[in-house]
Formats: sequence, C-alpha cells, structure tokens
Amino acid sequence: MRGKDVRLDNVTIRFGDTTAVHPTDLAIHAGEFFSILGPSGCGKTTLLRTISGFIEPTEGRVLIGGEDMAGKGPNERPTALIFQNLALFPLMSVAENVAFGLEARGVAKAERLKRAEELLALVALGGFGGKKPADLSGGQRQRVAIARALAVEPSVLLLDEPLSALDLKLRQHMRAELRAIQRRVGITFIYITHDQGEALAMSDRVAVMSRGRVEQVTTAETLYADPATPFVATFVGEQNVLPGTVASVADGVARIDTPLGPITGRAKATLAPGAAALVMVRPERVALGTGRENTVTARLAARHLEGPSVNLEFEHDGRRLVVTVPNGPELRDLPSEMTLSFGRDDALVYAEGPLAHG
Amino acid sequence: MASLARAYGRLLAFLFAAITLLWILVLVLVPLGAMIDQALWWRESKGDVSLAIDRLYNDIALAQLDRNSEKDPAKQAALDQQIAQKQAEATALEAQEKNPPKTYGFANFTRMSGLHFYIFVRTILYALMVTLLALVVCYPVAYVVALASGPRKAIVLTVALIIPYAINELLRVYAWLMILDYRGVINGVLGWLGFLDLDNRGWIPFLESPSAVFVAMIYTYVLFMVFPMVNTLETLDRNQIEAARDLGAGTLRIHRRIIIPHAKPGIAVGCIMTFMLSAGSYSVPAIMTRGQGGDWFSQLVYRQFYESNNWNMGSAYAVSLLVVCTAFILIMMRLFGVGLRDIAK
Repeated sequence: MRGKDVRLDNVTIRFGDTTAVHPTDLAIHAGEFFSILGPSGCGKTTLLRTISGFIEPTEGRVLIGGEDMAGKGPNERPTALIFQNLALFPLMSVAENVAFGLEARGVAKAERLKRAEELLALVALGGFGGKKPADLSGGQRQRVAIARALAVEPSVLLLDEPLSALDLKLRQHMRAELRAIQRRVGITFIYITHDQGEALAMSDRVAVMSRGRVEQVTTAETLYADPATPFVATFVGEQNVLPGTVASVADGVARIDTPLGPITGRAKATLAPGAAALVMVRPERVALGTGRENTVTARLAARHLEGPSVNLEFEHDGRRLVVTVPNGPELRDLPSEMTLSFGRDDALVYAEGPLAHG
Repeated sequence: MASLARAYGRLLAFLFAAITLLWILVLVLVPLGAMIDQALWWRESKGDVSLAIDRLYNDIALAQLDRNSEKDPAKQAALDQQIAQKQAEATALEAQEKNPPKTYGFANFTRMSGLHFYIFVRTILYALMVTLLALVVCYPVAYVVALASGPRKAIVLTVALIIPYAINELLRVYAWLMILDYRGVINGVLGWLGFLDLDNRGWIPFLESPSAVFVAMIYTYVLFMVFPMVNTLETLDRNQIEAARDLGAGTLRIHRRIIIPHAKPGIAVGCIMTFMLSAGSYSVPAIMTRGQGGDWFSQLVYRQFYESNNWNMGSAYAVSLLVVCTAFILIMMRLFGVGLRDIAK
C-alpha cells in the first residue's frame, strides 16, 4: 500500500443558501497522519465526505495523487472511509465484512477470505472471522472497521471520529493503536475529530477548522505553542484571555493596556495603537512570584486539584486568571494576595476575533 | 400472571387475562372451531328415506282398506296392529328425514372433484404469482419511500400510496374493470389510435386472461406489500449503504448484499399478507373475470355455501385453503430465515 497526497484546490461547498465550507486550499502529504480538528458544525465532516466522493464540491477541485477526482464516485476513488458509527454490516460475519471490498472487486472467495484473515491478524483479531460484529466489543468492532477499510488497499484512509463512541480508556488505547497501524501500512490518514487530545496525540499535522474555514494548518506542537488565531488559541488547550487596547507596537512586541495592568507580548497580528486586542496566556506559563517581564498582583479566589497539577484561580478587578502549577507541599499555605509573572514570549497578542467558547 | 398482578394489582391483572382469553376465544377458537366442525361431518342424502316413508303410507292406506272390508274381529285386530306398527315406523322415519343423523369423517375433503382440485391448485399458483409480481413491483417503491428520498418527499409518496385506499375496494376493482374491459380505457385508446378495430370486435380480451385478475389484485394489495418493507427498510442505517459504496460495491451488489438481507423480515411479512389476501380474495376474481376467465377457489367456496347449500363441503374447502396458506407462511418463514419475533416487529 502506498499513500497518496491529497490536495484541495479552492474547494467550496454550499448547500442551497448556506455555505458549509468556504474556499479552502489544503495540501495533505502522502503518508502523513493528518487531522482536521474543529467543533461540531464547523464543516470538517463535509470536507471529509467531499474527499471521499459522497459530496461534489460546489467549486474547486479535489486532487488525490495529483489526479482530479471530479465526477468520480466514492467507489472509484483510492480512498476508504471509516464511519463515525463504523457502519459494519451486522448480518455478515467479521470475515465477510472485511472481505466485502474485495468481493465488490470480484476477488475469488478463497482468496478474499485468506486476505481478510491476514488483515484481521494485522489488527490483532486473528481467529475472530467467524463471529458477527454484534458479538465483539467496541474496541474490536473498531479494529474490524479498520481492517475492512484497509482491505481495499486505499491510498488514503479517511476516519470520521471513529473513536467517539468508545470509553475514555479504550479511546486512549485506540489512539496509540491507530498511530501504530498508520506507521505500519504507511498510507495517508485523514482523521476528523472534535477532540483536541486525539488530534494532538496522533497527528503529524493538524488543520483547525471553524465555521467552514481552515484557521491554521501546522504540527501539533506549533498548534499548541503558537496558535495563529484567537479561535485556535482558545480551542486548543486552556487559555487566559485578557481583552485590552494596544498602547504601542514595535519589532513584533506589543504593549497592551489590560484590566490587569500593562502587558507586553508577542504580536500575532498587525496591530494599530488604540485598537482592541486580545492577550492570551497559557495557565502553565504563569509562575507564582516575580522574575518575568509581566507581573500582576491578584487575589487567590479558588483552587482546583487536578491530581499531578493544581489550577489556582486568581481574581483582579473582576478578571479571572488561572495558573496551573505542579502539585506540591509548598502550595499548602499560599497568601491570599500574590504576585504572578509571565514572560513576554508567553503572552500572545491577537486582534479581536471570535473565540472557541462563545 | 404473577408479575402482571405485581405491576397492576390483582383486579387489573385478572381483567387483562380475561380480556385476552375472550379475545382468543371469540376471534380465533370459536369461528375456527365452528368451521372445522362443519367441515368434518355430513348427512346422508334424504332421497331413500322419503321413498321408504311414501311406501309405508301406501301400505297403511291398503291395510286401512282391508281393515274396513274385513268382518272377522280377529283379523281386524291383526290388521290394526299392523297399521299401528307401520305408523310408528313412518313416524320414526319422518323424524329422521327432518333431522338426518350426522356422520363424522374426512369425506368432505376427499370428495372434492377433479375439476375443483385443479382450480384449487391453480388458485394457489395464481396467488403465488400475484405475490411474486407484487414483490417485484413494490420493492422499488418501498426502497424509494424508505431510503432514496428526503423526509418531505417520503411523506408525499406515502400519502400518494394511501389515498387509493380511501376508496372502497369494490370501486377500485370496478375501476380496473373499466380500464381493461372490451371497450375499456386501454382498448378505447388503442382503437382511437387506430391499432384496434373495436366495431368488429377486434379488441384485446384482457378480462379473459388471468392477468387481469393479477393486475387488479396487485393494485388492491400493494399497500400490504409496501408497508412492511418500508418499515424494515427505514431501520437500515444509511451509513451501511454508503460504506458499501465506499468499498467499491455497485448498486446491484448493495441491494443484494446489504439492503435485501436487511429487509428480509419485511419482505416475508409482505409476501405472507399478499398471498393470504389474494388466495382468499372473492370480490377481485368475481368482478374481474365476470365468468369469462376461470374461477378462483374462493368463488367455489362461495358457491358451496350459497348455491349448492352444502355448508359442510364449503367449510371443508375453506379449511383446505387455510391449511395451505398456513403451510405457505411456515415455508416463507423458513425460506427467509425469519422467526415469529422478527415478524412481530
């Protein structure tokens, strides 16, 4: 099996009057694990169904391995789709399920059942071929769906939130398993999810979508450390959001007047003095005590124990500031009024824009 | 019963059980029992008895004459005794004539004539053909209503299917009679177009072939085939269809491997209903053939009851039909691998 690259060229999808996907360019490399992350209704499933061929784009082109897919149905594309509810065929045995794609391609029965058994072994389900999908556990059904999709030797595997029905433990296990399977077969995986944990844990690169637009495409690390827009900054991970006005900008460093006092940070957009701006600081980048460029004095309002870490909730002038620190005995007797500080590089400054959580 | 009593209290539980029993009794056991009983006995023909009675009365009249002309009291007494004896005999026979004794046995079933048996077998075959044709006609309809149209279109289609059923069945059949008649709609249009010469009886005799009955029956019973299928098809997860397509299956294979296996219980129920209705239908063949096509078995049953006035034979015919239909249901269930549970769904 060889992975192919997928290119979306100015793809736009409209249903009647509503635009599900605004003009989008996307280049997914051959053999990479690519995630499309976004809240429900952001257009990510529509985009996936466009790649798989169930939806024809209103405008633009889908290219797989450099070949234009216009006019090709889902059964003619080198893709295989794993559905959110898996859509296993309940009346067929597991082996028949896996062999179905080969059956459709006219492979002889003995040959396709042999191939199905090999694929079941690949997903650690050897010997389960005779069972019915209903006899399997959630994780096993998951793996049957993967084997069934891999049976047609697709160049691109499309996954539509296939883990969402599993419980937390199994989900975490399946993440690692999916990643391992992708490494083993070496084909392109395009994974749709609203769960940032899944996207960050598995992907080579992630595209974040919001309201039909791709906000940012980058590696998981960059996505977390250097989000491009306020939406991405607040959708991925926790964030302290401080609204303010721009006082001055110089050499990519902005000085913002906020309710917590003046803050200097990295400008992520072109900012004009006097304009409204948003300062974002990750809770774990804020330290207790002084020593960094930005200092804030605030009242300790609440503490939430997370186990290995503690979220301390501070308040200043009605504004909330959450600080995540490692759990330890030194946290036992904190004064009610404290000075907090964070570096200039820890504060990212954006022009005002939509956030992920309202 | 115990769990019912726990859930609803004794009084209600008793009522539930009583109503269920009454239901079974009134709707199943009593009518069926009455018919089977009727089918299992017959009365000897009354001709011989009447003749014997006539003969006895002749003898009595002769003896009376002899008695009147006889003078010897001893002989008179002997004749009186003879008359009384014959009178008693005649009275007994008269009682027998009025209420002949029942004889139980299977004769009503074995007495069926060769012609009637041929019609019986032909009716079963016709009903099977109607069922098969209805299945072929209805599957695409059910598929479109259940899976291939949006919710709005599905409602419109369903209403369109139901509307004809607001009209009485007889009227619907008569409508088809008008369409297929010698000078009906089809022949009329063909004649008008110049293909047929109606004035010289050059029409197509649709009503003389069994297919006229088939057409009217399919039209009459379409809904009983469509709705069970729609019901099961609607429960099919459309993702399965998409998954099959995504895996490279063509339309035919998707129907054969995904949709039809899923619709099996619905197909079985639809076939059973259509078969039962068409095998037992009286009005459709009676109206559509007008005596020119062959009779259906249901018409024979009707004649046994109301023209031959032989209710016992009529019941035996009806029971035979019932037995074959029941066998058909069991065969269908076995063939489609569906249990009673699937059908009840």
